[in-house]
Amino acid sequence: MSCEISRRLMESGESASAVKAHTASCLSCAIGENARYYEAPAGLEQKIRASVAAERRQPTRRNWWAAAAVALLAVSGALTLDLVRQSGNATETAVLSAHLRSLEGTHLLDVPSSDQHTVKPWFNGKLDFSPAVPSFPDFPLLGGRLEYLEGRPAAALIYGRGQHIINLFIWHASGTSLEKTWTSNGYHFIRWTKDRMNYWAVSDVNTPELERFAALYRAN
Amino acid sequence: MDPGLFEQTVLPHLNAAYNLSRWMTRNSDDAEDVAQEAYLKAFRSFQTCQATTAEETRAWLLAIVRNTCLTWLRKRGAASMTEFDEETHTDRELTPDGESALLNQAALDHLNGCVEGLPPEFREAIVLREIEELPYKEVAGIAGVPIGTIMSRLARARRRLQDCMTAKRATA
Repeated sequence: MSCEISRRLMESGESASAVKAHTASCLSCAIGENARYYEAPAGLEQKIRASVAAERRQPTRRNWWAAAAVALLAVSGALTLDLVRQSGNATETAVLSAHLRSLEGTHLLDVPSSDQHTVKPWFNGKLDFSPAVPSFPDFPLLGGRLEYLEGRPAAALIYGRGQHIINLFIWHASGTSLEKTWTSNGYHFIRWTKDRMNYWAVSDVNTPELERFAALYRAN
Repeated sequence: MDPGLFEQTVLPHLNAAYNLSRWMTRNSDDAEDVAQEAYLKAFRSFQTCQATTAEETRAWLLAIVRNTCLTWLRKRGAASMTEFDEETHTDRELTPDGESALLNQAALDHLNGCVEGLPPEFREAIVLREIEELPYKEVAGIAGVPIGTIMSRLARARRRLQDCMTAKRATA
């Protein structure tokens, strides 16, 4: 007898003995009826409301600028280039700081694993896309991490190259940008878009090595 | 987006979120921290949430809570989700029906302790299915595994609970 049937019978007052016999033996019912349910403590809701409100104040400003930029893009061709360059710089700053943060040793990996079958499913429920997570003999996969770039959740895949770390960031692209390789602040960057996703690789390995990594990833 | 939409649709599931994180962290201080962190993550990715019903929103939130809990457990070096292997957790000998044995109150007194002693993958299944009373399909979605996997985890988890309660009653 299922718990559901048992409950209904109980409510209708019928065959009380059958119900009793079932309840006594049904572990599922027993757990449901005897295990503790922890209700949220008083004050937790307020704490969450406060932290959400604090979080909201920051990105909203960024969203407003993004909206303003989009509006301007539609109007002015001359301004467009400037804004794109600026937003590219903002992204570069964000990507570089995420890379540097990851090197500080506090938060390199959320999911430390060289196994792509561990790292890939780890992103389930955290992202609304599923990144390819290959590993290469010369560039072994070290793990994954969740980041936020341009206000969107981003996958960070971490690869090793000798003593060097490569962070590859993947997130939804709002448009298509040309493939580009450049150096800034002593770090090397490669970015490309594919299937409406942004890919940014950043590292202190030399540019040819980073390009080789990007080529391997893209060929995968 | 309606500025208060997140609070209106996601905060009503706070008890479910806290109950899961309390069972997974096994203490109230960390449970609060983890629940709060999960809500912040949920807020950040709210734009990508495609839930249209309260049930879907709850499942979406609980998946984030669950992942936050597992990250927390992993950082503490507790049983790692990534190393969980369905095969190694198969019981030696399966009794025909774990539910047929009689449970008395003396055994049930040990229920909460026994649930806390389950490996995280079994514990989350029990908490979501038996304590939160979510449908199997929703539990499977939250844990990110096929429904058959959840069914077998639950069956083994119930059997473990029964063994645990019987053993504790015997030694009590």
